[in-house]
Amino acid sequence: MSRLTSVPSALRVRSLGSAGLVLVAGAVIVILYGQAYTGSVVVLSACYAIVTSGMAVQIGFSQQIAFSQSVFMGAGAYGVAMLNTHLNMSVLVATPIVMAGSAVAALLLGSVVTRVSGLALAVATLMLPLIAVGYVSSTGFLGGAVGAPLTGTLWTTGSTTAVAVGGGLITVAFLAVAMFVASRILTSDIGLELFVLGVDERTAAAMGVRTPRRRLELFVLGCVFAALGGAAYAGTQQFVPETIVNPTSELALLIMLFIGGRRSVLGAVVGALVIQYLQGASTWVSVNILVVEGVLLTLVLLVDPEGLAGIVNTGVAWLRTRLDDRLPGALAGAGAGAPLASLDGASNAHGSASGAGEPDVLVTPTTLATLATPSPAVADASGAAASSTVPLLECRAIGKEYGGLSVLDDVTIALPRLGLFGLCGPNGAGKTTLLNVVGGSVPPARGQVLLDGTDITRTPPHERFYQGISRTFQAVHLIKGRTVLDNVAVACLASHKSSIVTRIGRSRLDDARDKAAQALKDLGMQHMQGREVSSLTLENQRMVELARALAPRPRLLLLDEPASGLSEQQRYRLADLLRAVGEVTCVFLVEHDLDLVAQVSQRIFVLSGGRLVFDGGPSEFRASPVVNSLLVGL
Amino acid sequence: MSEDGAGPAGSHRTEAQAGARKTALAVRGLSVSYGNVVAVHDATFTVAEGDACAITGPNGNGKSSILMGVTGMVRRKGGVEIFGRPAPNGDVGWAARHGLTLVPERRQLYPELSATDNIILGCYSWTRSIGKARRSASFGRAIDLFPELKPHLKQAAGTLSGGQQQMVAIARGLASDPKILAVDEPCLGLAEAVARRVYDVLASIHEQGTTLIVVEEAPKRALTLCNARVEVRNGVAGAAVAGAA
Amino acid sequence: MKFGNLLIAGLVTGSIYAVFAVCVSVWYRVSNILNLAVGDFAMVGALGVDNLYRVKGMPLPAAIATTLVVVAIFAFAYDRVVLRLAQDGPRRMEGIVVTFFFTFALSFFIDGVAKMLFGTDVHAAPALWSGQALTWASLHLERAGLLVLACAIMIGGAFWLYIRYTLGGKALEACGENAIGARIAGIDTRRYRWLIFVATAVIAAIFGIVESPITGYTYLSGATISLTGFLAAAYGGFRKPGRALVAGLFIGILEAMIGGYVSAQYGDTVLYAILAALVLTWPRGLGFESAVSG
Repeated sequence: MSRLTSVPSALRVRSLGSAGLVLVAGAVIVILYGQAYTGSVVVLSACYAIVTSGMAVQIGFSQQIAFSQSVFMGAGAYGVAMLNTHLNMSVLVATPIVMAGSAVAALLLGSVVTRVSGLALAVATLMLPLIAVGYVSSTGFLGGAVGAPLTGTLWTTGSTTAVAVGGGLITVAFLAVAMFVASRILTSDIGLELFVLGVDERTAAAMGVRTPRRRLELFVLGCVFAALGGAAYAGTQQFVPETIVNPTSELALLIMLFIGGRRSVLGAVVGALVIQYLQGASTWVSVNILVVEGVLLTLVLLVDPEGLAGIVNTGVAWLRTRLDDRLPGALAGAGAGAPLASLDGASNAHGSASGAGEPDVLVTPTTLATLATPSPAVADASGAAASSTVPLLECRAIGKEYGGLSVLDDVTIALPRLGLFGLCGPNGAGKTTLLNVVGGSVPPARGQVLLDGTDITRTPPHERFYQGISRTFQAVHLIKGRTVLDNVAVACLASHKSSIVTRIGRSRLDDARDKAAQALKDLGMQHMQGREVSSLTLENQRMVELARALAPRPRLLLLDEPASGLSEQQRYRLADLLRAVGEVTCVFLVEHDLDLVAQVSQRIFVLSGGRLVFDGGPSEFRASPVVNSLLVGL
Repeated sequence: MSEDGAGPAGSHRTEAQAGARKTALAVRGLSVSYGNVVAVHDATFTVAEGDACAITGPNGNGKSSILMGVTGMVRRKGGVEIFGRPAPNGDVGWAARHGLTLVPERRQLYPELSATDNIILGCYSWTRSIGKARRSASFGRAIDLFPELKPHLKQAAGTLSGGQQQMVAIARGLASDPKILAVDEPCLGLAEAVARRVYDVLASIHEQGTTLIVVEEAPKRALTLCNARVEVRNGVAGAAVAGAA
Repeated sequence: MKFGNLLIAGLVTGSIYAVFAVCVSVWYRVSNILNLAVGDFAMVGALGVDNLYRVKGMPLPAAIATTLVVVAIFAFAYDRVVLRLAQDGPRRMEGIVVTFFFTFALSFFIDGVAKMLFGTDVHAAPALWSGQALTWASLHLERAGLLVLACAIMIGGAFWLYIRYTLGGKALEACGENAIGARIAGIDTRRYRWLIFVATAVIAAIFGIVESPITGYTYLSGATISLTGFLAAAYGGFRKPGRALVAGLFIGILEAMIGGYVSAQYGDTVLYAILAALVLTWPRGLGFESAVSG
């Protein structure tokens, strides 16, 4: 247990380590080879590496694919060049000004562009380099197709060697800072938010992640890093070519990122180094760089989409399992000694050998007593209404159509504070849609949803999460590649209202993990908290989902077919657990297994063709002819 | 010829009945896994030609996975023989060409294509010529078996009701002229009256000589049609038994 | 009449974008990959024929045939080697990375090879139908432009007939409608994947050959054409070839109008800004899902 809580601190300290390593190594090379070829390649790589480390956070880790980096690198470079040549500003002074300007521009552009995500975001930003090229090549004062020279450099005093070395050292320092910032963010609790956002945006929103805000923050982050890289470029190369903003440059940046390792900050840096080295390695490569880059990117994608970092990680994990076989327990701690290992938390959790022989999950109602105390935020919200007779959840005349077909039609339901309530119906009857309407991911066409008397019909999913609504999904939506503990911790994060920037300093990931560990303990699952989720049996995966839904101590728990895929024995256990949960919170349960529903529910609703056709207790349910013909088929 | 020659678990039948019939489908040690989750585990059973065999058991226990593995929709371990010929792993086209067609769970129709187009694509497994397909006996039979579909044939399949879609799906299965028709949960989401109609159609298909395999959650209903049964619990299939209704 | 001539020019380029957009759209339905290299195949067609005919002295029909065959073989090889490894093995790759970046890399690879073989100058395939532009009232239509329109109509028409009246065409539609349902019927999606990819490459090359006399191509021209065709497909949500076709025509005409009325110099910039704005203001209407995981 202590091993696990020390891991995050170890990783956060390691983020200092990688940045420090690069700082020292870079500084040494620059000092030794400053003016020589090696030195200049390293410095140039460092400029690009600043950009790619931002891309590792934005594109690699959080999967927000935007093609904006070459444009902002150009903005940084041109900005510094203009300030330097026209206003005689020193490069070192111009740099922060340009970064600030880029941040503002990125905020404006980003607030428009990140209104969409996924493929739409990629397509919308795909045009940015083209727009920029068109503008730059036609605009006189930027130098047009010729480019913009600078009169100053990053470091201005001393001989040419001193200037080159000084500029190089400053660039390396910038890179180290950039890497440090990126790593701190990725290993913080917001880093976990970003990871979930990248993998499954819908689940992220249901767990309280403010997806629109995070997407904007990521966009701005990527652009600001790119601007810094551009400024460093201008300051060390003393010239800004027009090609810096074009699609080929964007491709080159993407290749650097993918080759090195898209989720790894250190990998992104290595990738930049590899490409720059290749470009200078021979004239043939330099002239035919398009061919080389095309082949390289394809190869990397085929071999390991995680690039060199992925290859190294796989190698290290393989080595570790070999060594573990020989010296059990000799290697302690996740991520020991792998230099290119991702710094993004427990993604080194490779699954254990097999899921067989896992002990069953043991739950007794008394252990759920702690879950009865609502969390402080939820208690505040529900305080006044707690003793009143206002129902906890009310759906009034909900209606919804999909493509002309009526999926929900005039559905009205009211649920009290505690208890278990079942929702049944044939497939396609609208059950999951109703759950989605209550959860907030689908807005109803008509009708209202009220929580404790307050209208939440238009409230977004992450807000509803804060108000105490928690849910599971039909298919298991756990985050692969992460441990059980982290998956539950996603629901325990307190970072939603904080900005990304605050995580450079302090992270409360440990708090979230402690809360998650406690929730797992309450459910008797602490023995599996270190396991990677895809190595678990289906029943245990569903239990983890349930633990995740229960961990924030919700007022209203929405369960979508929790028994699906479970054996009869497993269903008995589930029924016991559900009854225990129903004593501490309100549970709204969609299920096909009618016996299970009749056993555990106080009241059952049946939907057919989008309309509510039954609303009553379990004994009426079993006896009802409507229900029997609809659901049992005889 | 004894059916038990096909494998350790055979149906229990009288010798007289067993004598004249071939084994349509022999499944031996079938295992299907999705990643780490084992859905079916060492299933062994046989289905004789002309039988209507029900695969029953609680939801989520592996019934559909058995069919998916047998027809080649998902990869499997273990042996499958269709009329004595070993089926290659994961090759749906092979199974269709050798007489086993699947009508999948939730229909899986082509929503924007017309009902006729959906049905005629069932002929793809044996011909590429649309003319031959249209004129074939199997296509004609598929259409004729569902007179209630006639006014809707030109409609896009996605706009049909659940019951009509199920019929289109069965018709598509029939168009491939199968010797064995495997139907996965034919009545999923259907109202009672419609479900009865579907079973009537399945019964007439069976009477015309096609071997049937029906995955059904409600065992009582399945046994109105079927004379053999494979019970699946926890991914393990019991031997095919001749079940009285 | 300026408007009329711009409209005609826009229709000519628009019909190319439309055909490319349909190719991208159809292929995406079948393979779940977006073809970002369409325009690059067009460029290879143009520059290849020019090279074989002008530099190597081959007779024109042979030059055209050779180029098309080489393009087809290359496209087939790419599917067999790269796409098969990516999609058909046990470790099947999915997600936005595959969707985008394989053909992104391919596009630049082709450009690089073209640069190696054909140099960096502007070239064009020889005009297939030489002569004065056709005029009527004050409207001009380049003969090559008429050829482009004719090709577009023929190819589009042939494809439409294929889809509606053959079993193979319906099977292709089925692949795009429901992948599971297609497998049930024994339809081999992988076969259609390479068929459509090769067909796209050859069709693109044909258009490059026919259209290049009007504008002239360099080894980098392919990228912008790819992008525009891709955008047109985007406006159909990538899954609706019909809408992609209309979008392609619309973008072609819009491009011509902006170039003629707003500014020749910044024309492209304005065009892309408008196109980007459309995606941003109306994503659902254009068919994008609001979130793509992977």
